[in-house]
Amino acid sequence: MVVCSICLLIFSNPANVLSVMIGASTDALTLALELCAVYAVWMGLLEIVDACGLSQKLAKLLHPVIKWLFKIDDIETEKMISLNMSANMLGLGNAATPMGIAAMKRLDDGSGIATPAVIMLIVLNSTSIQLLPSTVIGLRAAAGSVAPADIILPTLISTICTCAVGIGLAKFFNHLRERHKGRGGQAISFKKHENNSQRGGK
Amino acid sequence: MSAYILPVIFVALLCYSHYKKVNNYDTFVKGAKKAIPLVVDIFPYIATIMIAVALLRASGITILLAKVFSPIFGLLGIPSELIELVLLRPFTGSGSYALLSSVLTQYGADSYIARCACVILGCSETIFYVTTVYTSKTKVKRLLYAIPIALIASVVGSVVACLVCKII
Repeated sequence: MVVCSICLLIFSNPANVLSVMIGASTDALTLALELCAVYAVWMGLLEIVDACGLSQKLAKLLHPVIKWLFKIDDIETEKMISLNMSANMLGLGNAATPMGIAAMKRLDDGSGIATPAVIMLIVLNSTSIQLLPSTVIGLRAAAGSVAPADIILPTLISTICTCAVGIGLAKFFNHLRERHKGRGGQAISFKKHENNSQRGGK
Repeated sequence: MSAYILPVIFVALLCYSHYKKVNNYDTFVKGAKKAIPLVVDIFPYIATIMIAVALLRASGITILLAKVFSPIFGLLGIPSELIELVLLRPFTGSGSYALLSSVLTQYGADSYIARCACVILGCSETIFYVTTVYTSKTKVKRLLYAIPIALIASVVGSVVACLVCKII
């Protein structure tokens, strides 16, 4: 796709290619700087949340859900996932990212192939329920809408649909994969088990 | 009203942690310190995806794709004015918000098209951006069915969004 678009640009506007790329890269740097500031605030606050034991409580509260979705039983990972899910629901995608990355690191088994739990976390973060679409409401209000908040209900309905479809499909394919593996022989499941216990030791 | 939620939560959190005898200052510093290495790690991924998206848009491929997809989207009930938005949304957050602003001014903030656009943005995420950033610190190379599932779920959400906007 990218190669195609460069080829197209060669015909239409060859002088533009490099400037477009550098412009985008500059935008990325600006975004990264902004993100750095946002992360500093959120990661500082989250460290406090963690230190006073609130994340542990949140993880215990969400334990049944997380266990059903991810099939894991590790309090540290559950803590990160529960913070990630709560931040996403509040529409704080940027606050969710550091926790999501940390959780992803713990869920990865180093094989290079996404584990069912990794896939679930990606799907969950790409289809997350948003209770309050604050950015969109702000933009609507700025554009002179009479009732900028009247999109909350429709958004809620469709975000629940998105999330349900995502979780349902991910669960279904993860299940198929487990069954396929089960038939593939015991060697694989044994290896996986070994990997898990190794990581537990670290 | 919603403007009060976050500040109140922050105050409650700081009071609670003080009550729990946590050193707020040191703990905050400790957390904030981790922000810079994290951003340094994810910057290359952000830059790559943003350069790719900028090339796609500059070349006009997105408009071409919008034309190709318009019959399919028509069948699904998504207005043809919003195809570029639906196609760009998985790649770029800021880009799709910019598109939303132009839709809002072009069609009026209370029109059906604008409301659809708002709901579609509210129920979908920047799938490719999320995926590249989240997996940036892992060894995962093959994502198997993760992205197709997320995309299907988003399209279903967009279809529902347009339907709901018609009714409500």
